[in-house]
Amino acid sequence: MKQTPELDRIQRKMQPGVLTLKGFLGHDDRKLADIIDADRQTMLAMHLDVAQIVAKLQDLAERGVDLMEQEVLVDNRYLIRVRDDRGKIASPWGDGLFEKGDVDLVDQKTGKTLKWNRLTLRLIQKHDFFGGYGSEYRIDPESVREILDLEPVADEPQV
Amino acid sequence: MTSIITAVLVLSALSGILTLLLLIAEFFFANYGECTIDVNKGEKSFKVEGGANLLMTLASQKLFLPSGCGGRGSCGTCKCRVLEGAGPLLPTEMPYLSDEEKTSNVRLSCQVKVRNDIRIEVPEELLSIKEFETVIESITDFTHDIKGLRFKLPEGTTIRFKAGQFANLFSRPYDDVKEETSRAYSISSAPSDNKALELVIRYVPNGMVTTYVFNHLKAGDKARLIGPFGEFFLRDSDREIICIAGGSGLAPIRSIILDMIDRGISNRKATFFFGAVSQRDLYYVDEFKAIEKAHPWFRFVPALSKDDSDHPYENGLITDVVARNYDSMNELEAYLCGSPGMIGACCKVLISKGMPEDRIYFDKFS
Repeated sequence: MKQTPELDRIQRKMQPGVLTLKGFLGHDDRKLADIIDADRQTMLAMHLDVAQIVAKLQDLAERGVDLMEQEVLVDNRYLIRVRDDRGKIASPWGDGLFEKGDVDLVDQKTGKTLKWNRLTLRLIQKHDFFGGYGSEYRIDPESVREILDLEPVADEPQV
Repeated sequence: MTSIITAVLVLSALSGILTLLLLIAEFFFANYGECTIDVNKGEKSFKVEGGANLLMTLASQKLFLPSGCGGRGSCGTCKCRVLEGAGPLLPTEMPYLSDEEKTSNVRLSCQVKVRNDIRIEVPEELLSIKEFETVIESITDFTHDIKGLRFKLPEGTTIRFKAGQFANLFSRPYDDVKEETSRAYSISSAPSDNKALELVIRYVPNGMVTTYVFNHLKAGDKARLIGPFGEFFLRDSDREIICIAGGSGLAPIRSIILDMIDRGISNRKATFFFGAVSQRDLYYVDEFKAIEKAHPWFRFVPALSKDDSDHPYENGLITDVVARNYDSMNELEAYLCGSPGMIGACCKVLISKGMPEDRIYFDKFS
């Protein structure tokens, strides 16, 4: 994947203080194209599909909504809290506005944590962007496979 | 070797000359001169210097369109109809416009450059929106993550708003945030208290403006506000009302109740259900209890969803508490303010109890 001027423009919007306080890249100083490419390769190597990850995270989030931000234990394993904020957050790709509100997950089996919101899932689903290293919203493909017990897809994965 | 150096020098000189020519061309051809912006078929007309985007140009003339991102083309809220002079629709606008909006000349004002005379159409109420350079009179910690701010308007200035409306608060550049940023917050004070404005703000982790408010703003500081905005206000009717709020959603409900008292509206029963997790999330309880005591038409029902301590409030999720307080809601109307999740859950309960959807009001500034 080539770092086009368009990706340069998107990467500028991902910097801290532009669309969000901390940005989307953490301490990752790679080009956006390289970040996306590396995670695509990891997904391919693990035979995982972005749709698997997004569907599972959406399902977990839905089981925590309507609880007025109370923690809930899901599947006797995941401690989930869905924070519900007013307002919307813009996609750095300029393809929409997404309701704020983070989902915090603690996997009681591994002790690992995940944090995501509607925009995080959109960026994974549409742009194969899982977040930069060090970003608290990074959904690291290897970690998420372990946390969610994801099985490799039989067919060629769609990344 | 000499020929390589000569070639590099010639190329550099040519690049320099081309750059200079481009700068000269921009100076002469990109000077759009004076342009006229006609608003709502002659209701207002501005003579402006061309070259800036429509959103900022209108703001410079004190006509403020709502904007959540400060003109960065990423929120899609600064829409207006441009009847003439906007040029072709840009790719940066496409994701934010529906097909219907595209065909009816709706544009993102932050993306439209003022290059010539322009005719626009904006909702009438936007013409009364004003900008206020205020001073923070006080900041009160209501709960662990909610603050109340009182903004004093400049001497001799007043604001007219409907109870329930909201204002945009601007943060100044700080830390990594290099540009002024604004967010919408409901007004919690009464319209009669028109020399000041009160807002209730809940901290949003990583929120650009709430971080500014919680970590940087202090009493005595200056702050810029624009408003009022919004279609959330008490409708004229004789119906009993039910208000439901959570967190900072209490703000517009407080304004509505205080306004009902000021206007002497005592023929409508009003019940305010305020949902919180535990006692540490409650605020303004004493004030609402005092109102309840003084005004028989008003009832205040705080509800705690997870508090095992001994307390005098209702227990359970706010939706359950509302549901068990009414058999039927056919004749009521509802005012909701809170997170999208809370509003969604409450709508389900209200509709299941017979309340018509068109009598459920909530602010849509999110």
